[in-house]
Amino acid sequence: MAATPWESELTRALKEEFGDQILEFSSYLGQNFLVAKPDAAIPILESLKENHDFDYLVDVTAVHWPEKPEPFEIVYIVYSFARNERIRMKIRIAEGWKPRTAAAVHLTANWLEREVYDMFGIEFEGHPDMRRILLPEEWATFPLRKENSILKMDQHWVQENLGIESGQ
Amino acid sequence: MKQLLRKVFLADLIEGLRVTFRHQHPKQIVTEQYPFERPKIGERYRGAPRLNINPENGETLCICCDLCALACPEHLIVVGWERNPETKKKQLVTFTYDISRCMFCGLCEDACPVDALELTQDFEMASYTREGAILDRQTLENGLLPARYRY
Amino acid sequence: MADTFLDSTELVLNMGPQHPSTHGVLRVILKLDGERVLGTECVIGYLHRGVEKIAENRTWQMFAPYVDRMDYVAAVSNGLGYCLAVEKLLGVEAPPRAQAVRVILTELNRIASHLLWLGTHALDIGAITPLFYCMREREWILNIYEKYCGARLTTHAFRIGGLQYETYEGFEKDCLEFCDLFEKRIDEYEELLTGNRIWKQRLTGVGVLTADDCKEYGVTGPMLRAAGVKWDIRKAQPYSGYEKYDFEIPTRANGDTYDRYMVRMQEMRQSARIVRQAVGAIPPGPIMAKVGKVIKPPAGEAYVSIEAPKGELGYYVVSDGSTQPYRVRIRPPSFVNLQALDKMCRGALVADVVAIIGTTDIVLGEVDR
Repeated sequence: MAATPWESELTRALKEEFGDQILEFSSYLGQNFLVAKPDAAIPILESLKENHDFDYLVDVTAVHWPEKPEPFEIVYIVYSFARNERIRMKIRIAEGWKPRTAAAVHLTANWLEREVYDMFGIEFEGHPDMRRILLPEEWATFPLRKENSILKMDQHWVQENLGIESGQ
Repeated sequence: MKQLLRKVFLADLIEGLRVTFRHQHPKQIVTEQYPFERPKIGERYRGAPRLNINPENGETLCICCDLCALACPEHLIVVGWERNPETKKKQLVTFTYDISRCMFCGLCEDACPVDALELTQDFEMASYTREGAILDRQTLENGLLPARYRY
Repeated sequence: MADTFLDSTELVLNMGPQHPSTHGVLRVILKLDGERVLGTECVIGYLHRGVEKIAENRTWQMFAPYVDRMDYVAAVSNGLGYCLAVEKLLGVEAPPRAQAVRVILTELNRIASHLLWLGTHALDIGAITPLFYCMREREWILNIYEKYCGARLTTHAFRIGGLQYETYEGFEKDCLEFCDLFEKRIDEYEELLTGNRIWKQRLTGVGVLTADDCKEYGVTGPMLRAAGVKWDIRKAQPYSGYEKYDFEIPTRANGDTYDRYMVRMQEMRQSARIVRQAVGAIPPGPIMAKVGKVIKPPAGEAYVSIEAPKGELGYYVVSDGSTQPYRVRIRPPSFVNLQALDKMCRGALVADVVAIIGTTDIVLGEVDR
């Protein structure tokens, strides 16, 4: 089953506002999502919040596709209490490209973006507190990148701080 | 006056103690007296693993299909087998099961097509060494020996 | 005036990671002025196990037991969310019988989770008795789980596509007996706490989060409902047949700790109500939908969220068409709710921090994953 185009009043309004900044409106398994150019992500989130009642940022996460030209896909999931609607926005970015933070729009993005940084090494520009959140500060690798296998971890850190040869 | 009498005869204390003693009935006790009293274990409890043997001829039921090892999320089952040169059938040689890494999810039990591997109601699996937690075929077939705890 | 008089300076105090009221290994760095909290910072990750990385190295079925270990007091809800997400990708739906049993077990789990919260929260505030009562009732639920699926805490009760285990003989009776008993017992807890003056004084007006704050911080679950937003995924976007059951969403207006307590108490009553309805109407039929032995969802992605006891628990699953998940992202309610701790603690007293951590109802296994 392939993704089908998604059309509604919302998509028309967004199309009018952002034009070719939004690359795709699709629907898969009944779940609607849009793909935007990386620069447009924060303006779209702002517009969704201000004009379309999407006032709850559910999640910010990323997916790593190493063989694609733009290997990181950042996924924003937003929900509207008033419309009872959940949509996703994706942006695709290249290695080393720094997306702008969403923390200025939704406060909840603060920790969620820190987690993305922690796991993927994507730095968010303008983030108030861009540090690791779950892993120790000195950890060397970004574990959820596909090139880091589950067996390969920061052995150096483990040996130095815990004094054990790592398991697995 | 009434207040004074209540105080003199410790009426409040007695009332309080009545509540306490009412809940002292053996039926009301919730705590299990574990080592002296065996806990009631559910029939489907997923505890120590066992390799079942055919009660008629004492041979293992395991057909060495390796499905349990494939189903295990922790990859802790190792099935060792060799092909019998006469019958051309797989024959079980070793079977190791590392309960130190086991999370008793029951996926191996579900995967077994002949009900050879089973998680039993035995829950006392403590041992003094890490190696003691790795069960070999013999232990799996006979069941865990009742551990003698040094206390 | 007070600070010049006492000549106080700012003090940095570490609370945790080994502190009995942080409910796990949470470290909160408090910046204090005397007894007042000026700001907090949470240090988390002590319990990080890399669940999302483990998912990428296991098959779809193999990962199911791991999700139980995130929020270990509500393992059944975690399992339900994961199974629903994979079923969405596969395009199958669990048969009605399986759905009914799933609802019963998750609602019992909600009660169990809230009971543990109530006991520990009351213990933090200084009321010891409710803990023992709550544990006693929770034991009933765990016994039902043990009889049903053979495990008490990390149950692994559901499988992708339905259920592995048929209900045992007397399952309905056990559940109904529990409901009968529980509804009486919950009155007992309310008698102990709801009108209690100390309880009220410690909780009223502490850790206020307004509805707007909640939305801004992404706070969901009972905390959102205590702020007056009538929102519950079970009603808003029903899953697993919740639309068939008649229940209410309890809400309160003030969004303080006392209101959250009231909302959770009401929620337990509503859960018992759902269990009653569901037990009465378990339809006959198969318990497993037609899914192959090897689960290979077509390439694509889905986001499925459920109303876990702590809030919105979401699974964003990405498949590349193989037997292993390409990416499983878990949106943990505790993690997101914990972020609002700083907002709630500012201006509060140190003793209130304990109450606020308790009312957030976090499980560090889920915060750190």
